[in-house]
Amino acid sequence: MATHESPMRYEEDGNVHLDFHGATNTTIDFIVERFGVDAMDAIFRKVGRDVYASIRSDLITGDTGQLVRHWRHFFDREGADYDIEIGEDEIVLTVRRCTAWHHVKALVGHVSPHFCDQTSRTNEAMAEGSPFAITTELTGEGSCRQVIARRA
Amino acid sequence: MIPSDHFTRFYNEIFKFLESQGEEALEAYWLAISKNQERHILELIQTQGLAGMYEYWLHIKIEENCDMDLDFNEDRLELRMNVCPSLSKVMDNDAAPMERYCDHCAGWIGPIMDKTGYHMVYDVIDRTKPQCVTRIFKDPEKARAAEKDAKLLMGWPGHKVG
Repeated sequence: MATHESPMRYEEDGNVHLDFHGATNTTIDFIVERFGVDAMDAIFRKVGRDVYASIRSDLITGDTGQLVRHWRHFFDREGADYDIEIGEDEIVLTVRRCTAWHHVKALVGHVSPHFCDQTSRTNEAMAEGSPFAITTELTGEGSCRQVIARRA
Repeated sequence: MIPSDHFTRFYNEIFKFLESQGEEALEAYWLAISKNQERHILELIQTQGLAGMYEYWLHIKIEENCDMDLDFNEDRLELRMNVCPSLSKVMDNDAAPMERYCDHCAGWIGPIMDKTGYHMVYDVIDRTKPQCVTRIFKDPEKARAAEKDAKLLMGWPGHKVG
């Protein structure tokens, strides 16, 4: 599956404040407890569609480049253990150690059972209306496999 | 993963949702975030007072890439945010900013100041510009005097202004 160096809509540099992941965890617990999982999922989908509108727009035109570059840029910035394989039919992101998950675990001891929904739901929303589906398979604590593949 | 760099854009979506649910929901959330933040700042304040706050925000200034001046003396701590990275990112965003985005800062800091016996004067100045001035006093009279100079004074849960 072809990909190239697409420009990125957001490309932060400078220091990284990992404690924001703790606030994300608190936020997920708060929203799920008060408004339910569906409300949390709807917010994540909105992030995928609206905040990441540029990535979604590229995917709709068949271009996976910005999403792959986004993954590389931010997983590198956070020091995750991961790799990306670009194949003929699919692109596979294998996250062996997710910095966000492990930072929350170390910080508060409790990672929301819905913490990784931020990945699954935003991925699904970014792919909405595009020729691709993005699936997220949780493979363990703080590890997952994300696959971009053309819809059948 | 929503990168930590993009937390504020996620935060912005949370605020928009909660605002649609009513003011009580928004304030309850600020209090939940305030409770979360206690693990980072409460002990510093309880053991070192204003010096502990200075230490906390000096760390934040570096780690969150803030263009911020910190002025600390024995009477008060002043945080002068010249370019707030949080609102800057929310404005540099393909999703619309929540109009009251700045209110969350007073929303989480204020309750911690109330809990620890300090008095905050939080001047947002203008919600559309990424700059603000926060002054924290031990003496309530000095805080009340400083409020008079504020252009857009923020309140927080349990401390309404205006």
